Amino acid sequence: MTVATPFDAQDVEIAWCPGCGNFGILQALKETLDELGYRPQDVVVVSGIGQAAKAPHYLRVNVFNGLHGRSIPVAFAIKTVRPELLVIAESGDGCMYGEGGNHLLHAIRRNPDITVLVHNNQVYGLTKGQASPTSGEGFRSKAQPWGNLSRPLNPLSLAISQGAGLVARAFAGDREGLKGILKEALSFRGFALVDILQPCVTFNPVNTYAWYRERVYYLGKDHNPEDQVAAFQKSLEWGDRIPLGVFYRNPQPTYEMKVEERAKRRRNLFEEEEFQRILQEEFAQLL
Amino acid sequence: MVDITLKVGGAAGQGVQTVSEALSLILARHGYYVFSIEDYQSRIRGGHTFTLVRVAEQWVSGGKRALDILVCLNEGTYQLHHGEVKEGGVILGKTGNETPGRGVHLLPLDFEGVALRLGNRVFANMVATGAVLAILGVGLEKAREYVRETFARKGPEVVARNEEALEEGARLVEASGMIFSSPFLTEHRDPSEISRRYLISGNEALGLGALLAGCTFYSAYPMTPSTGILNFLAARAEAYGLIVEQAEDEIAAINMAIGASYAGARAMTGTSGGGFCLMCEGLGLAAMTETPIVVIDAQRPGPSTGLPTRTAQGDLLFVLHASHDEFPRFVFAPRDPQEALNTVIRAFNLAEKYQVPAIILSDQYLADTRWSYDRLSCEERPIRPLFSWDGTSPYRRYALTPDGISPRLFPGGEALVVADSDEHDERGHLTEDLALRKVMQEKRMRKLEFMRKEMRFPFVLEGKDATLIGWGSTWGVLLEVRKTLEQKGKSIGVVHFSDLYPLPEGLKDLLKRSPNPVVVEQNFSGQLAMLLERETLLPFPRRICRYDGLPFLVEELAEQVEEVL
Repeated sequence: MTVATPFDAQDVEIAWCPGCGNFGILQALKETLDELGYRPQDVVVVSGIGQAAKAPHYLRVNVFNGLHGRSIPVAFAIKTVRPELLVIAESGDGCMYGEGGNHLLHAIRRNPDITVLVHNNQVYGLTKGQASPTSGEGFRSKAQPWGNLSRPLNPLSLAISQGAGLVARAFAGDREGLKGILKEALSFRGFALVDILQPCVTFNPVNTYAWYRERVYYLGKDHNPEDQVAAFQKSLEWGDRIPLGVFYRNPQPTYEMKVEERAKRRRNLFEEEEFQRILQEEFAQLL
Repeated sequence: MVDITLKVGGAAGQGVQTVSEALSLILARHGYYVFSIEDYQSRIRGGHTFTLVRVAEQWVSGGKRALDILVCLNEGTYQLHHGEVKEGGVILGKTGNETPGRGVHLLPLDFEGVALRLGNRVFANMVATGAVLAILGVGLEKAREYVRETFARKGPEVVARNEEALEEGARLVEASGMIFSSPFLTEHRDPSEISRRYLISGNEALGLGALLAGCTFYSAYPMTPSTGILNFLAARAEAYGLIVEQAEDEIAAINMAIGASYAGARAMTGTSGGGFCLMCEGLGLAAMTETPIVVIDAQRPGPSTGLPTRTAQGDLLFVLHASHDEFPRFVFAPRDPQEALNTVIRAFNLAEKYQVPAIILSDQYLADTRWSYDRLSCEERPIRPLFSWDGTSPYRRYALTPDGISPRLFPGGEALVVADSDEHDERGHLTEDLALRKVMQEKRMRKLEFMRKEMRFPFVLEGKDATLIGWGSTWGVLLEVRKTLEQKGKSIGVVHFSDLYPLPEGLKDLLKRSPNPVVVEQNFSGQLAMLLERETLLPFPRRICRYDGLPFLVEELAEQVEEVL
């Protein structure tokens, strides 16, 4: 069932493979934004490069589709300059955890009120099937015919260990469950990371819809997301059982809140009188 | 006419900058023109560092090699520099006991010992300052005023000890019984009758220019010699409501600036060559998304890490072509702090008007050198964002226009703003329609000819015997060399470029008219010469290239010019 929303893009040809997990994520995001009462003009979606990073083009919102790996610094700056806008950074696992991994670490430290959505299909799609930072050990591809020698990155453990604002995992194959998590993440004031498990029907024959459906389950009421150690412990669970939901919540002042007072002191350099005043004050210090 | 050159040398962390800064400010307040050049190493303590300070009655714009006074805060300074002292000059401080001969006065003074008697080693800086002022014949009134202002926040005790230190330094010189005559400042000037001079470094000017340009967002990763801009703006962030963010790397820094500009800020980033390398893809992003940004590259010798604290002009051809494929950009290289102030505002305005990146080339010499002026002026004014959408037709961020400039809007209004690093259609959505790709590339490149009309002609002084051609921070020393050679009966012209790309129209005629051109640059190949050859098809075979990391000094460059003529 696809519901029409104000976020439906007109006249765009979607370049994803039929059956791609991205479709479910796109629809869930549109419905969530609508249900939360946002208007397209209130929303900026920033992305990098990759199949997932095309998502903003398929949405009716403000878009900044930037460089591979660099959506987070752009999103941070947009939110800092325009705190009234809802800012989402959306891209794949290669973009967010590989090329842009450093920015993720430092965005956690800054804690801007942005939501980072990672379409995590554990493979590079657009470059046709190489291992990604989250591919399992032994994953075979044309670039790793001997099987991936590296262990997969655990983005949840990483973000929880660094005290990120909100850390969640969702599954693209369960739209209602995904919407619930997106709602929580988008409503959270602070840095929110949502790692979305997304089957790649073309290049990842391992982590399929069926593979996930056998394993995923939602964290229950017994999980306390305010408990960093418990959240970290839960984030280590992967294999036969894969937990979904909000693992960790750590409300803290956002970057924008910290510079809010300062922003009010902005001077109007376009007014000649003000310009002269500043000029003279500064020149006097050079005497 | 008074024209004195003094050098203060010591180990890093010993107070070389404190002493030279105090002397510069005090002498500028006495109405002298001051020009100070810093030479330091990439370390926090130890090693060797010095500042060259020129003090004169007429305006000066370059440093000299021959010293009148050498202030040795350590013995190494004496060993390294005593040979640079002129006949009749003075060496003071930790001089050792060797007599340098040549009529050079040796004045061994234990600045530190005096300071320790006053209670703390740090007072040595003001002991040295007081001693130099006494040699120059300058009274201590302005120096005391300086000490009171500078140390006020450290309490009255520190102020009092530093005032004593000044007096002790002066007393030691008087007690030595040495008589110094010309070329020192023998007359005691009445401070009430003289006007102070403005003292400003390149980094201060670039920071101030950004502030006056209405820059509201500065993101940078610390990198010598650009860090002074970050510090300048950070110091003013609270008072002026600026966002100043230390990014995790230069890639983040430029992407932040682009995001901020897209959202409505006037954004700038600054770095040096190595950081600029990391910014290259971002520079292309600014170009492709047509997002205005200003990027400062404070050059230092390279490649790779190179010489972090020394100067060079080796990045001209690099920034001209940086990032893959082609796109229009502005490149400026201000000639001195006064111009830098205005250049930054122009760069912001032109980036805004044409929706392109504007690059400002600084270098360690411009960044750290303090110039003095009778007056400072700022003719440029920031322009407001130019929104040219009529509000009726559907908004298209990259609408095709005759001059290539599309209507820019910020997100958050009624129209949705779509920006894309992929090749895109007029709406901003990615496309692989190759006919459209051609149209969009032509739209972006179309701006270049309009941008060219904004560029200013080089600074020109005519000369019959030769024409020195340069760019950026070498302007001042070219003027000095012209003067020096004029005294030898030679007529030397100067053609100096501050606006480097796109080059203004009509250059070929100017350069054809310039006799015996000699291109002077701080790089190996002569990059401006290569650019001019390419753009004008005129040959510039005579080049003076310095690439040892040190700035051109007047006498040395004058000799080199005489050699090539």
